[in-house]
Amino acid sequence: MNFELNDKQKLVRSSVRKFAEDILAPVAPIIDRDAEFSRDTAKELSKINAWGIQLPEKYGGADLDSISYAVTIEEISRICASTGLTVTVHNSVGIYPIYKWGNEEQKERFLPDLASGKKITGFTWTEPNAGSDAGGIECLAVEDGNDYILNGSKIFVTNGGIASILVVGTRYKKENGEEGMTALLVEKDMEGYEIGKKEDKMGMRGNPTTSLYFNNLRVPKENVLGKISDGFKIAMQTLDVGRIGIAAQALGIAQAAYEHAVEYSKGRIQFRKPISNFQGVSFKLAEMATNIDAARLLVYRAAYMKDNRERYSKESAMCKYYASKIARKATQDALQIHGGYGYIKDLPIERYYRDVKVTEIYEGTSEIMKLIIAQQILRGNI
Amino acid sequence: MIKIFVLIKQVPDTNNLQINRISGTIIREGIENVINQDDFHALEFGLSLREKYCGEVTALTMGPPQAESALRECLAMGVDKAIHVCDPIFAYSDTLQTTIVLKEVFDKIKDYDVIITGTKTSDSSTGQVPYQLSEALDIPLLTDIFSIEINNNLVECHRNFGHESQNVEVELPVLLRVGRHYDEPRHISLMGIKNAFEAEIEITDYACLNSPECIDGSTKSPTRVTKTEKPEEMIRKKEFIKGTTAEKVQKLIKIMQGHGIEKIWVGEPHS
Repeated sequence: MNFELNDKQKLVRSSVRKFAEDILAPVAPIIDRDAEFSRDTAKELSKINAWGIQLPEKYGGADLDSISYAVTIEEISRICASTGLTVTVHNSVGIYPIYKWGNEEQKERFLPDLASGKKITGFTWTEPNAGSDAGGIECLAVEDGNDYILNGSKIFVTNGGIASILVVGTRYKKENGEEGMTALLVEKDMEGYEIGKKEDKMGMRGNPTTSLYFNNLRVPKENVLGKISDGFKIAMQTLDVGRIGIAAQALGIAQAAYEHAVEYSKGRIQFRKPISNFQGVSFKLAEMATNIDAARLLVYRAAYMKDNRERYSKESAMCKYYASKIARKATQDALQIHGGYGYIKDLPIERYYRDVKVTEIYEGTSEIMKLIIAQQILRGNI
Repeated sequence: MIKIFVLIKQVPDTNNLQINRISGTIIREGIENVINQDDFHALEFGLSLREKYCGEVTALTMGPPQAESALRECLAMGVDKAIHVCDPIFAYSDTLQTTIVLKEVFDKIKDYDVIITGTKTSDSSTGQVPYQLSEALDIPLLTDIFSIEINNNLVECHRNFGHESQNVEVELPVLLRVGRHYDEPRHISLMGIKNAFEAEIEITDYACLNSPECIDGSTKSPTRVTKTEKPEEMIRKKEFIKGTTAEKVQKLIKIMQGHGIEKIWVGEPHS
């Protein structure tokens, strides 16, 4: 058993860290303040192939393993969690299902532009009446000759405002009466595609999250992903992948908060001593360090299991549940250590605190994570 | 096509450097090794020359087996080839022994146009290799370069010369020494990393060379490090001198004499 990254993974970490510190650090507070996605940043991310981290080279990807992927998201999120979100959703829940279930024609049609960052993608399942209860979606695609006619709405669509193509989960009804759930590749320029309002969020403000409306949107059958009835399976397996990315994102935020807390507590003098000399502060640092280490091992293990083609739903849920939980605690403690300085926008601590919360909510709430873990355990996967 | 060679060195990461208080040497255990910072600028210089003049860049390092990771990083940054000069007999080489080995290596390579080095390495800071190597290979060395143009075999260089600048023309091959004020090194892409770990690194060991007897890092390096000291921290003091101007001057003279200053000229006070 080896607890160290290999040389290649280490180089991924140091290279992405350098990139993030040079390029993302100056824009992170601005895109948070203005709630604007930065196209310039997207171009910079293209230069380091961040839009196609794991795709094979034939589609223009960097063909890296899942641990390298997690490390990349972690390092981007350490500096700018909003950018981490855009990148992880694009790579995992956007690209992954197209690569995994798409036919060769679909892969060749979509993947090269996605890998280069020319087009951005995402995944949408959540609706006004269907969140944790994923089976409750109401969007409906009705077969009509060579097309499906899609109607309905989606909410909280990460990358909603910028995606050129989305994997859309929907119910379907065939002419022969067959019904079920399916995943469709819906393109922005299709008639009947309407982007709704951009949400004014607490955190992750640099990522445009919107609602979407489909009004008699005609989706050709060439855009059905996998078998028509594969929708729910695709969604569940895609989210297993996505959760590694969200956990890595939480980990990056936690790491940033922790590093700031260590530095600040060593330099902040109160009662003629650095506050790190007080156990009330130093024990918080010790807890953060331990929790972050434990979360990191869980995240990398889930990534490792994915690459080894093992079943990893439980481990993926565990790493997301745990990393988001300890990351929320880390940002809270880091803010407390900074006192009033943590509460003002001169320092990034309050941004971490706002950004981190949603990692306990999206791509399955912590409660759903525990549900998945418990179901697995009780089915005998102890 | 211009054949460019960039010499790089793997050094301990100075961000977390610790010194053994007894021996005075750097503690290398548990320290991450990184590419010497200057050398990133040398690499960037080499890569930009390649882009301008269409050439081929080879990163070359002399170092222990773990220096392979530094060469992988150079490949990830975009160099075309990497050569690892590595043999136990090269261990403990000082700058002169290093130069002797490098001379043998370049004599074997034969076909080189531009060799680029950084200014110095962060672990020893001697900065001697570029000078020694240009002498050993008998090729011109250009330092403190502002800009460079290569036309056929001719290198036109605009360089710093104290308070003036100088235009120099030399013929290839040439050795260029660059520092940190050159272009920022480019960022490494993930695709670059993928390619770097698929590339072959050429190993040059002692047996590949012309078996020169003068090479043996541990016994034939003339440099001896006798002692490493941490410079004493200078504590600045301040003292207020009170009294009339004349009294203050006298007191000041006394203090200065107390520090060994013998000749003190006292001017006329301003009226």
